[in-house]
Amino acid sequence: METEQLMINMGPVHPSTHGVCRFKLIMNGEIIRDIIPVIGYLHRGTEKLGEMKTYLQFVPYTDRLDYISAMPNNYAFVKAVEELCGIEVPRRAEYIRVIVMELNRIVNHLVAIGSWLLDLGASTMIMYGFREREKVLSLYEMLCGARMTFNYIRFGGVRDDLPPGFIEKTREFLKEMPSRIADYEALLNDNEIFLMRMKNIGYISAKDAINIGVTGPTLRGSDVDYDIRKLQPYSVYEEFDFKACVRKEGDSYARYMVRIDEMRESLKIVEQALNNLPEGKVVSQTPGIGTYRWAPSTVSTFFPRIFNPPKGEVYSRVEAPKGELGFYVVSDGTNKPYRVKIRSPSFCNLNAIGTMVRGLKIPDLIAAFASIDIVLGDVDR
Amino acid sequence: MIIDAIKSKFPGSIIGTGALVDKPMLIIKKDDILKVCEYAHELGFDHLSLITGVDYRDHFEVIYNLWSYSNKQDLVLKVMLDHENPKVQSVVSVWKSADWLERETYDLVGITFEGHPNLIRILLPDGWEGHPLRRDYDMQKEQYVLISETGEDIVTPDPSKALRPGKY
Amino acid sequence: MDQVEKKELIDTTKVRPKKRVPEISREKLEETGFLKTLLYSSERSRERKESILFSTVDQFLNWSRITSLWPVTSGLACCAIEMMAVSMAHFDIARFGMEVFRASPRQADLLFVAGTVTKRMAPRVKMLYEQMPEPKWVIAVGSCATSGGPYHESYCVLDGVDKIIPVDVYIPGCPPRPEAWLYGIIQLREKIKKEGYGAKWGMDK
Repeated sequence: METEQLMINMGPVHPSTHGVCRFKLIMNGEIIRDIIPVIGYLHRGTEKLGEMKTYLQFVPYTDRLDYISAMPNNYAFVKAVEELCGIEVPRRAEYIRVIVMELNRIVNHLVAIGSWLLDLGASTMIMYGFREREKVLSLYEMLCGARMTFNYIRFGGVRDDLPPGFIEKTREFLKEMPSRIADYEALLNDNEIFLMRMKNIGYISAKDAINIGVTGPTLRGSDVDYDIRKLQPYSVYEEFDFKACVRKEGDSYARYMVRIDEMRESLKIVEQALNNLPEGKVVSQTPGIGTYRWAPSTVSTFFPRIFNPPKGEVYSRVEAPKGELGFYVVSDGTNKPYRVKIRSPSFCNLNAIGTMVRGLKIPDLIAAFASIDIVLGDVDR
Repeated sequence: MIIDAIKSKFPGSIIGTGALVDKPMLIIKKDDILKVCEYAHELGFDHLSLITGVDYRDHFEVIYNLWSYSNKQDLVLKVMLDHENPKVQSVVSVWKSADWLERETYDLVGITFEGHPNLIRILLPDGWEGHPLRRDYDMQKEQYVLISETGEDIVTPDPSKALRPGKY
Repeated sequence: MDQVEKKELIDTTKVRPKKRVPEISREKLEETGFLKTLLYSSERSRERKESILFSTVDQFLNWSRITSLWPVTSGLACCAIEMMAVSMAHFDIARFGMEVFRASPRQADLLFVAGTVTKRMAPRVKMLYEQMPEPKWVIAVGSCATSGGPYHESYCVLDGVDKIIPVDVYIPGCPPRPEAWLYGIIQLREKIKKEGYGAKWGMDK
């Protein structure tokens, strides 16, 4: 009997993919032989725009890269430029940055798990996830006025101080969140259908993962302890007591457990930060960054109009919720960057889909693909 | 320490040294980059973070960022290339993450990597003309994309088929 | 695999879609009293406990279309996350009749273009629009779909989705708040209410 290999196109517009990502599947009956991802449907040219805008004008563009958790993206770019200039940031600003970034990590994992289960056909978890997300977004709205694209972390500190009432509301959120996470675990951990669809699907070994360049919870689910907050601590992460969550099995279920554990660790970090919040200013007063007063004393921040970093290059990386996010900035002394290159976690993680999925069927592809947790704004930039 | 180990093994390859704020940097000759990368992989640098190309107006530069999980160290390697003919060897045989990073550098900056198994455009459609991140790319020229009958992209500079006629 | 007949693709730049039914002006509707007929007649039936309703064909058709618009899942970028938030429990879009997001465009009648439309994605959005059956409406959400947004100087972004398909309502914002989203939907409902079949069949006198 003659057989042929069939190529199926899982097109850019599909209710299961997280955005506009296209797959060409080469099938042998029902089994997948090979998979070719085709990307570039959301390529907007952010790096070229980086050469046309000034440093302060480029910060909102970094929000739109990984649009589910926008604060770490802001912070990665700001950290790179601060390292280049040698700006010292006051401690209160660093604590506020840590609080805001860890809350964003919780939001990201909620949306990730929620949409993962929506792909598998269950609509309960996404309702729970978005209910908790609304509470965090109302905190952010109190802080900086926006729900998704914040533009809050600036060079030398943050945009504005914490408003009155923020700390009490955050403490209320911290009190009720652990019981919600226990709800999610009770719903999913021992669920037969969930286990059947997740265990032993999408396996990747530690050696393969390191060679392909996978980072983040995807790597920590395969028994490699790589968390940039522990190995190359930045900001004030050395003063907090938390652990990096690692699991041994390397399949989709392990990655799910890593995300649930990380949510709990983030809650611990936020509580410690709120307890030890120091007093002081929220914007650096380093000479050379410039002072330009544009409002009376109700606004506690000064931002420079003309901001010229010295000549040089820098590469700095940050532990974003999806992996290692790095910015490579080349400056030539003017007020616009010469080159900005973004090393995004989703672009490098998507490379691993080939090894994970060979020999499985299409519904397993959907479960494994959602466990890598990519966002197309990050892949295509 | 790492720099001394590499210097002793490949004395003729290193043109210069430097630092990227606090990471050690080596400038390597174009033809020896594959050997140096294989040696660095043996020394323990098993994570390739980034491959980029930058267009200075008279030469190109390709930058490799490495990290070692076991020794917890960074290393940066740089290669300088001509402006007319930017070609360099590919390091796909050492780290598989170089696959897509090199394709993206070819797509946007225009540097050819010899020995790469599948060097085609990744972010822009196949028929796009020009490499956008070069400094002499013409931003005024508009190119539009249509779908052919087989489903692949066709790129034309002619807007008549792509856009709606009339006023909006 | 290559024995399938190749159908000719429709070129929408040459073939116009079916002409939309002309609008009746609000003054004309008010002076004939047709606008209040449905409302008064339902109140009167409730008072007298009857089950008879008076209305016009126009109002009835428009009411049936407004209250069950079914959208297509076509989120492209950041505004797609706000689309998910609008359809969740806090800002419920199901109370407007849109709880069912159809996966196939052939079963839907509303297209939310949410996110940046790049040049590579533009022919696919156009294909989605062409596959929807009449009557259909388009809402362009966010500043990227309206006019290119923050990326309008880029080399590969289309300046607004109305360069390829006709748009009914534009919702500004980056991304628009869910309340702004719901306001845009209400504006679309007001627009649909004004459509009149009676004028086409000569019943507006």
